[in-house]
Amino acid sequence: MYYVAKVNSEMCSTHKCNMCTLYCPEANTLMYDKEPKHGNSNGTSWVDEDRCKGCAICVYVCSDLLDRNCIEMVMVTTEEA
Amino acid sequence: MSLRYMIPASKFKKYLPKDYVELVDYGPFGKDYNDVGVKNMGTYKELVEEHPMCSGCWMAYYIKIIFASLPNPEDTVTIGTAGCGRLAISQAAVPFIYGNYGDQNAMASGITRAFRLRFPDRHKDVITIAGDGGMMDIGFSMTMHAWFRRERFTTIMLDNEVYGNTGGQESGMSMEGAILKMSPTGKKFGKMPAMQLAITAGCVYVVKMSPTNINKASKAIRRAIFAARTLGPTFLHVYTSCNIEYSIPTNDVFRDAKEMEKGRFAYEEYMTDEAKELFAQIESKNKREVS
Repeated sequence: MYYVAKVNSEMCSTHKCNMCTLYCPEANTLMYDKEPKHGNSNGTSWVDEDRCKGCAICVYVCSDLLDRNCIEMVMVTTEEA
Repeated sequence: MSLRYMIPASKFKKYLPKDYVELVDYGPFGKDYNDVGVKNMGTYKELVEEHPMCSGCWMAYYIKIIFASLPNPEDTVTIGTAGCGRLAISQAAVPFIYGNYGDQNAMASGITRAFRLRFPDRHKDVITIAGDGGMMDIGFSMTMHAWFRRERFTTIMLDNEVYGNTGGQESGMSMEGAILKMSPTGKKFGKMPAMQLAITAGCVYVVKMSPTNINKASKAIRRAIFAARTLGPTFLHVYTSCNIEYSIPTNDVFRDAKEMEKGRFAYEEYMTDEAKELFAQIESKNKREVS
């Protein structure tokens, strides 16, 4: 079981923003897909769950600094668990 | 490292590790900084691989910025020493040399000179990256003497104000009165004036900062590397908190870095007239070069 960040891509793609990817301390973890998503003109951030260490700095950036609330922390489990 | 050595034969590619192939296909080697620099992190394969540094570590974050800011990653060598930082620095796709117990700047002196003899027609960037213990305590004499000798490489001190890797002993860079696990009565003397020491010892470009503005942090790193190529030693003193030893909740690490920026890690930049002239030349010649 791991505690990881999860991006709501539908909400994320309504903003022209990739701030969370710029402040994630882990390389190649919080990525940004430039392709427009969900009928919006913007792309979306997404999380490589295998690499996320669950620090929640992205939540601080998205919710506390930008008040956009597109990222939440969730527990993920393997299929067997 | 030459780019030619990195690119695998097409038939061999499918047998190589996925991370390696991704690095060749989507990595920053040989690409324009404006496409793969810090502003575009998250859209290309970054040089730093998975590493065992703690969750929310601001030092890991700054190391990520260092590697995303390199002007020529394929012609760069990093040198580190004992401490947390080397756990991530050694996991990057840039040659890393481990300097024992603080001798990173002595090693860098020799390597820089050897590179200039071996590759007189190109810039090989040498960067030493170590913690406050490795740079200002254990490696102090070698750091200072490299600067006094005007060795042309970049020194980056990741200052977390504690020996985080060994359980929380006070370092020369800890604040006076700091109570840590291994200094329960509080530190008895103040923080060493690293920036002033660097200026006195002859560094041509010195910056003290807390990396909260990604462009500013990247600009300082690139300026330090450019100035070290031709002018002399350069030094970056950067706050990279230890959220474990200073008990900072991981989601408050960025907030803490911003607080530090208002206090003892307020942005300070020193450069000689020569360095100022060099940056003006580089930045006016190609405004996109240093951004």
